[in-house]
Amino acid sequence: MRWKLFATLSETVGDNVLEVSVDAEEPTLRDAFDALLAAHPELESQVLDEEGALQDHLRLLCDGEDPFHSAEGWETDLGDVEELAMFPPVTGG
Amino acid sequence: MHVLSIVGHSDTGKTTLTERLTDRFSDRGRVGTVKHIDCEPTLDTEGKDTARHRAAGAVQTYGIGDDEWFATGDTSELDLHEALERLGERCDYALVEGYSDLALPTVVLGEYDVDRGEVLARPSHGEEADIEAIVDALEATEPYETLSSLVAKVKRSPDEVYSGAIATFTGRVRAKEGPDDERTEKLEFEKYDEVAEQKMAEIREELEKRDGVYEVRMHHKTGVVEAGEDIVFVVVLAGHRGEAFETVEDGINRLKEIVPLFKKEVTVDEEFWAHEQ
Repeated sequence: MRWKLFATLSETVGDNVLEVSVDAEEPTLRDAFDALLAAHPELESQVLDEEGALQDHLRLLCDGEDPFHSAEGWETDLGDVEELAMFPPVTGG
Repeated sequence: MHVLSIVGHSDTGKTTLTERLTDRFSDRGRVGTVKHIDCEPTLDTEGKDTARHRAAGAVQTYGIGDDEWFATGDTSELDLHEALERLGERCDYALVEGYSDLALPTVVLGEYDVDRGEVLARPSHGEEADIEAIVDALEATEPYETLSSLVAKVKRSPDEVYSGAIATFTGRVRAKEGPDDERTEKLEFEKYDEVAEQKMAEIREELEKRDGVYEVRMHHKTGVVEAGEDIVFVVVLAGHRGEAFETVEDGINRLKEIVPLFKKEVTVDEEFWAHEQ
């Protein structure tokens, strides 16, 4: 699964496009997210809060769409998804 | 407008390549060129009326004939970016010959070092260059937009006859918040390309549905933007000033809210991402 990271997150990893293999047979967003952190544990302190949940200010997108808005959140089936992205609050302009 | 810089030492065929590309791009749109010259221009020669205007102290002089025109002036009156801004109003392509190292898509002829521009091709001589490959590579780059090029575009709208107002917003790099503030030297923008384009298209579509709003254009630069330079433009063509002002404000607010762009600030002493402040 292809992950794209931006700003501080890509600086932490040293790259902004990552290929992360996900073992699950019918992977969900949760599986892909866990696989990303397993492959890049250096992200953990930046991405997870004290309870191990995704920090509030971070956004996730599945092929440009917000899965918590237009799909099943963590349970979103990634069958047809090509690209996942994670980033901090946008700061254009 | 797409802008291409052509660089190389003398006798590497820069002008030959500029001619070949001008000819090729003319099939696709209007082409403007800028040449960096070391010698005095010969057009406005001593004793001509326009030269007398200049000698009397005019900083810029236009000679306009029935078929052609020319302009002359002090170099302090026109830099490359101002020339490109003017070309952007009417041209689809601009070829810039002989500047050494610009932050623009570039063709390098022969052995020559460039740091700032994205190099699209490195032929050994202008005669050898693969024109079609350069055309395709240039079309794939982000166009060079300015406030005037966007204003010119909305004015070409078929609904232009119903429009009594254009409102524009320009966001620029603020060097200081106040007299004691540490100076911001530059900002660096990272963009989630495909998604950013998609979100900007959504905003545009949403705003153009409003009554009395005919055209909306927005452009955001990426990469390094220095203090005092422009970052983002929003341009609205509308029936009346009310909807023009409201839409231009909503346009920039929506852009700042949903378009995946990330800003890093570089001050005299430090570097930080804007969201960490």
